[in-house]
Amino acid sequence: MSNPAPTNDPGLLLMISLASGPKHGHAMLLDIADFAGVRLGPGTLYGALSRLEEEGHVAPLPSEGRRRPYRLTPGGRRVLEGRLGGLNRAVRTGLQRVGA
Amino acid sequence: MSVRHDSLGRLLLRCYPRAWRERYGNELLDLLSDVPLTPRVLFDVASSGFALRSAAARRALQGDTVMTIRPAWRHPTAFAVVGALLILPTLFFVASSMLAYELNLTAVRDLVAPIQAAMTSVRAVDLLLVLAPALAAVAAVAPLLRLGWERRDGTLQAVVTVRALAPNVAVGLVAIGLGALLVWHIVVESVLQAGA
Repeated sequence: MSNPAPTNDPGLLLMISLASGPKHGHAMLLDIADFAGVRLGPGTLYGALSRLEEEGHVAPLPSEGRRRPYRLTPGGRRVLEGRLGGLNRAVRTGLQRVGA
Repeated sequence: MSVRHDSLGRLLLRCYPRAWRERYGNELLDLLSDVPLTPRVLFDVASSGFALRSAAARRALQGDTVMTIRPAWRHPTAFAVVGALLILPTLFFVASSMLAYELNLTAVRDLVAPIQAAMTSVRAVDLLLVLAPALAAVAAVAPLLRLGWERRDGTLQAVVTVRALAPNVAVGLVAIGLGALLVWHIVVESVLQAGA
C-alpha cells in the first residue's frame, strides 16, 4: 500500500482487521500491515487487544494449538461502525476541501 | 522458538503487570516467536509493558483495584537456602566460642582457636561474620513480604501481607537470634573492656 491509513490508532486498526473474521496475533499484524501500511509492534498489538477485550469489543476464541484467535463482538462491531462513520465524514470533508 | 529467543521473551514479559502476564503472557510469547526480535520490537514490547504497569498503578491509586508490590523472586526456598549458607560461618563461630570459652571445653578450644584466629584475621571476613545474620534474615524473610495499597472509604491504606513458609521463617528466626546473641556478646565485651 502506497499511502498509509488515515489513523494509526492500534485499537481501531485491530477492530478493522477483526471485522473480516477471527484472527490470531500474527495474522492481525500481517493484515494491518497489508491494509493500512502500519507495522504494529507485538507489545502495542497485545496492549490494545487486552484493552478491547476488557471493554467487551473483542472476545477470545478457543486456542488453536499455541495460538488464540480473537473475534469482534456485536458491541465491538457497532463501536467500529460509529468510529469509521466519524472518520469517513472527516475524510470526505478533507477531500472536498483540498478539491480532490 | 530458540531457547535464547524464549528467554529474552520471558525477560521482556517481566515488564508487564503480573495479572496481565498470566492472561496474555503465553500468547505474546507465541507472537514473539513469529517476528524477528529487532531493537524496535524489543522497545515496543518493553514500553507497552511499562505503559500497562503505569495504567494499573494509576487505577489502583484511583481506587479501582488493589495495587501490590512483592519481591520479584519466585523461589523463596532458594533464598532460605542462601540465608542458611550465609549464617553458617557465624553460627560455627558463635557455637564454638560458647563451647570453648563459656563452657570451658579445652579440647574444643584447642581445635577451634586456630580456625577462629584465621577467620578474624582478615578485617573484611570479620565484618562479614558480624553482618551475616542481618543479611541472612533479609534474604530469608524479604520474599515472604508483600506490600500493597488500596483505597478504602476514600483513604489510601497500606496493606502488608506476610506468607508463612517454614524454611524461610526458620532461617529468619535463627538469623535474628544469632544476630541478637552476637550484638549482646559485643556489648558485654565492650562493657567489660571499658571496666577493665
